[in-house]
Amino acid sequence: MKLFSRLVHPYVVWISIFVLAPMLLIVLYATTTSGNGTLTLQFTADNFIRFFSDELFINVLINSLEIAVITTLICIAIGYPAAYFISKMNAKQGAILILLITLPMLINMLVRTNAWIGILSDNGVINNVLGFFGFEEVKMMYTRFAVILGMVYNFVPFMILQIHASLSKMDKSLVEASNDLGANRMQTFLKITLPLSMPGVISGITLVFLPAVSSFFIPKLLGGGSELLIGNLIETYFITTGDWNFGSAISLIMAIIIMFSMYLTKKVDKGGRD
Amino acid sequence: MKKLIQFSNIVKEFDGQIVLKGINLDIYENEFVTLLGPSGCGKTTLLRILGGFLEQNEGRVIFDNEEISKLPPYKRELNTVFQKYALFPHMNIYENIAFGLKIKKMSDDVIRQKVMTMLKLVNLEGYENRKIDQLSGGQQQRIAIARALVNEPKVLLLDEPLGALDLKLRKEMQIELKRIQQEVGITFIYVTHDQEEALTMSDKIVVMKDGEIQQVGTPTDIYNEPENEYVASFIGDSNIIEGSMSEDHLVKFDNHEYTCVDFGFKEEEIVDIVIRPEDIRMVGRNKGKLNGKVKSSLFKGVHNEIIVETQQGNKVDVTMTVSNKKPVFNEKAKEYISANSFYVDILEIENMNDDEVIARADAQAWLQDGEDYVSLAKVEYQVKSEEGTYPLTFKTKEGTEITVNIFVVKQKYIQDEKKRIGVAAFDFYKNIDELKEAVAIDTDLKTWADAVAWDLDTDEKIEITNVDYDFDVEDIKEGKYTISFSTRGREFKIHTIANAEEDKVVGLDFNPEDIHIMSKIGY
Repeated sequence: MKLFSRLVHPYVVWISIFVLAPMLLIVLYATTTSGNGTLTLQFTADNFIRFFSDELFINVLINSLEIAVITTLICIAIGYPAAYFISKMNAKQGAILILLITLPMLINMLVRTNAWIGILSDNGVINNVLGFFGFEEVKMMYTRFAVILGMVYNFVPFMILQIHASLSKMDKSLVEASNDLGANRMQTFLKITLPLSMPGVISGITLVFLPAVSSFFIPKLLGGGSELLIGNLIETYFITTGDWNFGSAISLIMAIIIMFSMYLTKKVDKGGRD
Repeated sequence: MKKLIQFSNIVKEFDGQIVLKGINLDIYENEFVTLLGPSGCGKTTLLRILGGFLEQNEGRVIFDNEEISKLPPYKRELNTVFQKYALFPHMNIYENIAFGLKIKKMSDDVIRQKVMTMLKLVNLEGYENRKIDQLSGGQQQRIAIARALVNEPKVLLLDEPLGALDLKLRKEMQIELKRIQQEVGITFIYVTHDQEEALTMSDKIVVMKDGEIQQVGTPTDIYNEPENEYVASFIGDSNIIEGSMSEDHLVKFDNHEYTCVDFGFKEEEIVDIVIRPEDIRMVGRNKGKLNGKVKSSLFKGVHNEIIVETQQGNKVDVTMTVSNKKPVFNEKAKEYISANSFYVDILEIENMNDDEVIARADAQAWLQDGEDYVSLAKVEYQVKSEEGTYPLTFKTKEGTEITVNIFVVKQKYIQDEKKRIGVAAFDFYKNIDELKEAVAIDTDLKTWADAVAWDLDTDEKIEITNVDYDFDVEDIKEGKYTISFSTRGREFKIHTIANAEEDKVVGLDFNPEDIHIMSKIGY
């Protein structure tokens, strides 16, 4: 045991250097003025005041949260039924489907997202087909629709896998017991299966909402300039403008909002189970 | 009593394997019925068909004069207590029990009243707000029963509900279950593989094997009048003997005829005879119907289990010649060599090669220091297919040699034409040191003598159960010893509070009504 506990030490060092230190640096940057020398640190709350007093920034924040929430809801709507039916199948068929769901994840996200441009663009696959049947061209690229589509496409496997894990872990005799006690399929689903699969749904939400709210390359590729999200904002301030202090402040605000929403989902989950 | 459930010709297949082979069974109101059988006999499958979780391939299930085969489980007027309880982990005790009533949309105060009554019935008052994982196995079991009974079903199905509990708790729950059944007065159908459980609780036992019903009857019927050898051996301990019916009320086994109460068999029909161990009395020698020698006595708590052998098995005697020959030492080469004389069957002599001769003689040579083995370069012998003694010499490269004898004999061979059993063994030679090194002496003696027994008709091997000799391996001396090998004789198991010394000859007595005769159907 002692040997094993010692094995953890390199990891602790790793975490402190590459995770903890950068986070502390972000806090430091966010709370200081720009152009500081190391010895003449000037603490300030200006960065935060700037963010919350500008309507543009607030709108970007709201827009990001909106898109993330919509993406998450769609992922649940698609992922739950999919996971449910996979868990009802026999083990072999189920395993094949799970493999098919995980397979695209082996290919780089950027490549897969880029592929959507070919499908959605004005002279892309869909519009060609529509044109062939005499329909008018539909603008899909650089819209909110495209951004959400890209996110759902990228993140829905996480939702399916999480929900499937919790459904397949469930004791099948509980469903039989519920049927036995007079509950029909629908009642059994609502009173037994759904509540017992909530932990899976919650971890699915966490795994979809977090990347969705902070994603920057999906809105960049599929949304163009039309959808400015918080991720893009952070990217702009760090890379284009070079204002690391303000960029850090936005990151920090984002992190706090994410932590708070995780805390809320956990709370909702617990409340549902008591 | 009213007939409540009727299975007619139920057949069930899983992946081409027939699990139920046409079950016909009637179950009445207020009965405690047990489906009893080993795992894989189809008892749980039958219960699940009744519960609606499986559909039969053929046959009909009539419940209260109505065919229910196509009804989903939630429309059937019966409830199940599952093997692992299947309590809902996200609900507390109260919600678990109230589940069925809430589905039926009863008003809250009626539900509360009924749940409380149930908690009282299962002796768990005041537990309503506990969580499932705060209960012990036995308590969870009672909640599962309460959850099922609160719906006031006409039938309660119980699928091995006590399997996960320890012995003491199981006994308590058996009594508890019987009490609950009598109190609520509904039919219980109980699945178990535990014969004692079945005997304790049931009004009616259904003994099953390989998807077929073997016997249906009250516990006393099943115990006292088993219909075949399978039921007899599955329920309780028994002595099962093959015999024949000389005429009505007269059965014959081991060359003696005994009065019994059974009749209606064909003359000379081969039958199975069951005598329960507790029905046999141990009396003085020549005072009972049989005499036998006490082979063992085991303390079993309430009684002693005594094994009495009334007839010996088939026996063959061999002679073991024990020598104290030390290995031959070659001063020059610093080598030892050793070998034993051995006996060989006249019929085997032609097929013998050098390797086998070395093995039979247990010949080996080794260096004085280091104990490294030296290979035997030469094996010299000349044998004819004729009884006699032939010298055999083993030599190493360095010229170390030893000479022993091969005795060509006809194997000792005993055939019992009546019982159709053959027994054979060889005389053999052993060294004192080898005997002392033996770990499992009986098995070693069997191997050395190559003792075998077989069925004369089928050639199947029969176990040699007894190895008798009167020497002590620990301080055996040179000389000749007789060892006898024999098959299992006729043994009776007796349960009695009396005790008996081993090897004592006693008489055995039993009453005519304690001899149960069964036809050999299906065997």
